[in-house]
Amino acid sequence: MVGDELAYATIRELGARFRRRELSPVELVRAQLARIEALDPALSAFVTLTADQALADARAAEAALRRGDPGPLTGVPVAYKDLYATRGVRTTAGSALLADWVPDHDATCVARLARAGVVMLGKLITHEFAFGIQFPGHRFRPARNPWNAAHIPGGSSSGSGAALAAGLVAGSLGSDTGGSIRGPAAFCGVVGLKPTYGRASRAGVVTLSWTLDHTGPMARTVEDVALLLGALAGHDPADPASSRAPVADYTAGLGQPVRGLRIGVPRDYFHDGLDPEVARAFEEALAALRGLGALVEDVEIPHIWDAWAFMAIMLAEAFAYHERDLRERPGLYGEVLREKMLAGALVSASEYVQAQRLRARLAGAMAAVLRRVDVLATPTTPKPAPTFATVHDPDFPFARSNMAPFNMSGLPALALPCGFSASGLPLSLQLAGRPFDETTVLRVGHAYEQATAWHRRRPPLTPLTGAIP
Amino acid sequence: MTLDEVRARMRAAGVEIPEERLELVRRLLTDALGPVRALDARAARALEPAVTFDAAPPRDADGG
Repeated sequence: MVGDELAYATIRELGARFRRRELSPVELVRAQLARIEALDPALSAFVTLTADQALADARAAEAALRRGDPGPLTGVPVAYKDLYATRGVRTTAGSALLADWVPDHDATCVARLARAGVVMLGKLITHEFAFGIQFPGHRFRPARNPWNAAHIPGGSSSGSGAALAAGLVAGSLGSDTGGSIRGPAAFCGVVGLKPTYGRASRAGVVTLSWTLDHTGPMARTVEDVALLLGALAGHDPADPASSRAPVADYTAGLGQPVRGLRIGVPRDYFHDGLDPEVARAFEEALAALRGLGALVEDVEIPHIWDAWAFMAIMLAEAFAYHERDLRERPGLYGEVLREKMLAGALVSASEYVQAQRLRARLAGAMAAVLRRVDVLATPTTPKPAPTFATVHDPDFPFARSNMAPFNMSGLPALALPCGFSASGLPLSLQLAGRPFDETTVLRVGHAYEQATAWHRRRPPLTPLTGAIP
Repeated sequence: MTLDEVRARMRAAGVEIPEERLELVRRLLTDALGPVRALDARAARALEPAVTFDAAPPRDADGG
């Protein structure tokens, strides 16, 4: 099994080792596959392992490196949330409905990373259709949190977060409708970026909610996320929401100081019901940013509580997408998820339109605040990861989300580690910025990351105890 | 929202939700529709849902 040092190497470090001929992509892939074989039976991060394809990809990367390929992602082992279509590889969306679907095409993001030379290790489990937690008896086992197997890894990009935290992959892709990249990043102690709406293509990714869905990268450092975004970003005519806004060099600004940047802290809504340990870690993160010279100030976002209308939009759009199958094959939907999706049928046309109007008003208010400050900072989640036992209570409420306002507004938002609870669970800082200004968000995140050591902690992977849910 | 209103909406939409899940759906819709119900539809600025959504800030007086 690959040692921790290699398993937790960053994308940047792997590239440097490849070019110094200290490591070959084929060696690395063989080692990663052995690590997955050893650890994943208890973690359940992978739903499909593509070992043969991975070795073929690695050989191609090796040849490219011999030819002097300068790409930063060449030979880097990644895996995709199983919501992304992969040609010739089944794509389940974590559902019994699509359990045997083998697409004849790649999602645009998958194709772009393939062109960048990555090695695909396989597909990572997702909450069912990116929404429903897998209850006991579900077709697919849920991923477990490497930091504590009794706790959820977050969702819906659950396998992506778990695989990164366990050192099974160097990078992954998630999708984010109300926090599904940032939530697992927060609960698993890794980094996740929801780019601006329209920045990364959704073409070939199973829909949950058209106007809220985003795709984006996950990795273990801010720099790695920036490297992945560089390969993903850009216009895609296959996604009607895809933007033609120019693509920046997302790593170019990472070393720049944050002195003088204005960081706004909206406390109303985002600090409601905050766990004391999360509050303490967040205040310490702000102090660290002040120490770097950033100007931190409280701000008010008018209409922020209208973010609750997020759920009305998502439910209605999810029902619109799933209506036929919900009516004709309801038994193929998981428990509780089915009823939540059916709730979308109960949102009236008028209510959906009004929710979109509220959304536009909120997006305008957030944009106005971001004309006064460069970045917003909030806790990513109000609490650390809950246990499986907690979320398996059908009456467990769908928690208010600190992340959903940024799906409503389309603004770029980054989650990165900012501490640990007394029980050893990761805590996370969320940084959000202006439309298409991922560069500043990443710059602040990188500066904070370099000033702290939270991202270097590794989970106690063995033994993974507790009943497998 | 009351459970009776949930049941009435189910009939109108032609969907069936098991009785033991109705409270979950009621709470979900109560939270989701709270801001919608609080909105003064005439006071809020008119908006037509766009064909394509642009996350850029609105172009307004300060030239943004």
